[in-house]
Amino acid sequence: MTSGANGSAAVPAAEPWGIELKDVTVRYPDGTLGLNGVTLSIAPGEMVAIVGLSGSGKSTLIRAINGLVPVTAGEIAVGGHRVEDAGARALRRLRGEIGMIFQSFNLAGRTSVQNNVLVGRLAHTPAWRTLLGWYRPRDLDLAHRALARVGMLEKLYNRADALSGGQQQRVAIARALAQEPRVLLADEPVASLDPPTAHTVMRDLSAINRDLGITVLVNLHALDLARRYGVRLIGMRAGTVVYDGAATGAGDDVFEQIYDRPIRAEDRVASITGEIGRDASTGEPE
Amino acid sequence: MSTTAGIVLPPRPSGRWRRWAGAALVAAITLVTLLPGIGIGFELTSLLENWRNGAERIGRLLVPDWSFFPRTVRPLLETLQMAVIATAVGAGLSLPLSFWAARTTNPGAVGRGIVRAVLNTVRAVPDLLYAAILVAMVGVGALPGILALVLFSVGIIVKLVSEAVEATPTGALEAGRAAGGSQAQVIHALALPDAWPPFVNQTLYMLELNVRAAAVLGLVGAGGIGLLIDQVRSFYRYDQIALIIVELVVIIIVIEAVSGWARRRLV
Ligand SMILES: Nc1ncnc2c1ncn2[C@@H]1O[C@H](COP(=O)(O)OP(=O)(O)OP(=O)(O)O)[C@@H](O)[C@H]1O
Ligand SMILES: [Mg+2]
Repeated sequence: MTSGANGSAAVPAAEPWGIELKDVTVRYPDGTLGLNGVTLSIAPGEMVAIVGLSGSGKSTLIRAINGLVPVTAGEIAVGGHRVEDAGARALRRLRGEIGMIFQSFNLAGRTSVQNNVLVGRLAHTPAWRTLLGWYRPRDLDLAHRALARVGMLEKLYNRADALSGGQQQRVAIARALAQEPRVLLADEPVASLDPPTAHTVMRDLSAINRDLGITVLVNLHALDLARRYGVRLIGMRAGTVVYDGAATGAGDDVFEQIYDRPIRAEDRVASITGEIGRDASTGEPE
Repeated sequence: MSTTAGIVLPPRPSGRWRRWAGAALVAAITLVTLLPGIGIGFELTSLLENWRNGAERIGRLLVPDWSFFPRTVRPLLETLQMAVIATAVGAGLSLPLSFWAARTTNPGAVGRGIVRAVLNTVRAVPDLLYAAILVAMVGVGALPGILALVLFSVGIIVKLVSEAVEATPTGALEAGRAAGGSQAQVIHALALPDAWPPFVNQTLYMLELNVRAAAVLGLVGAGGIGLLIDQVRSFYRYDQIALIIVELVVIIIVIEAVSGWARRRLV
């Protein structure tokens, strides 16, 4: 199961990008306020965990960054490129540089793992090539390396819906990696996985950040995962940022401040190694 | 806002009356059609009076005139050809149109609205009427029949397949858009695999419908066995009509078997 950083199958990384949000507000068509004046600056190559209660705006934040949710006011720039006023073409090009991972994996179940990972090459492939299924050797190579990196290469020709949840999420990570992304956005990537698998996937994400230098933003429900895998911790409540600091130094009091209520057992994922109250000084698990 | 034992319910979304209004409308329409004077004039008595007449003809339908077979071969083949060509052309046109007509694969409300409006119109006109009009435009023969069946096929396949497309989860499409894929790329790479089984199923079923429809298009001069049916019918040769019915039944059964086989291989 361990799939972490084996250097031989490393995907060459492009220069990572930073993210700037200036006073960003998102109001949904039904009037709900998703983000309320968020200002954030994320440096290239950072590993950021975003936590907050359900409905606090974590998904909205992540999805505004790649333009899946339109902003009502404010400015978002990724790698210096403005997102909110990008035209359709520019937005597609920008999205090509930003990998995204979803809670429900979002694979096309009826097609092969290889085809799913090649979706990561869409922005870099002319439409006629995708229509003929005639991908460049380099695109195929990128897809295969990305799969090897998450330890899923042997499933290349399997149908995606024949995989377990954890395997599907690793294929989804490979799909994002095949983009050679400069930023990786993950919206609760482990919320539908069991604890051991959740740790495997989180280790993959943290290795991607460490070895490839890609900027990673990951939404998490569980505070122990945030503390363990995040380097920087951003806490959200009611569409605003209420905490922004180092993840390692954040004790339960910080989470109680973010959640605005006492910590409960269900705020943690039962850890495989039983280190819920892990000492912050211990090194990253490998 | 109502309060029940201390809990406060959020305000109800508007539009719940629509369901009741729909049911009331159906009831009203049914009532009006049954009213004497304006209604369809449906009477049980006339059904009983004509029964004696009909029974005798049904009797003759039970004894097919087998010697008539050689004359039916060519028009039957033409009927089949019309149905196969129209189904193939119609299905080819329907596949892209289905994605164009589905909300999940075409977020543009204007383009989608236009496609849907045109298709609703296409579907509202009966195939026999298309054939009659097209015969007047392009002349007697198989061509107007084929054109009529293409319209008939597109109207039905696009409706059913686009509904199937809208019913499939959109997560994969969203992932494709998030990766920077264009609309066409996302549809081809991610929507097509899911739309393929319903598309194949509807197309094979459409072939069956088209054989049946093609058999009567000849009544208005649009080729196929219908012309022959019209002739023997005017001479009250119910035994010969019986033979044609037997032949059509056999063809439908064969198509059913072939499409079952094709379905297992294509889906
Ligand atoms: N498509 C939408 N239309 C209307 N309101 C929405 C939509 N998506 C989210 N919201 C609202 O915006 C607010 C923030 O939602 P968001 O999904 O960003 O929260 P979240 O922190 O990701 O929650 P969770 O942990 O449950 O995923 C919530 O009040 C939610 O109800
Ligand atoms: Mg969310």
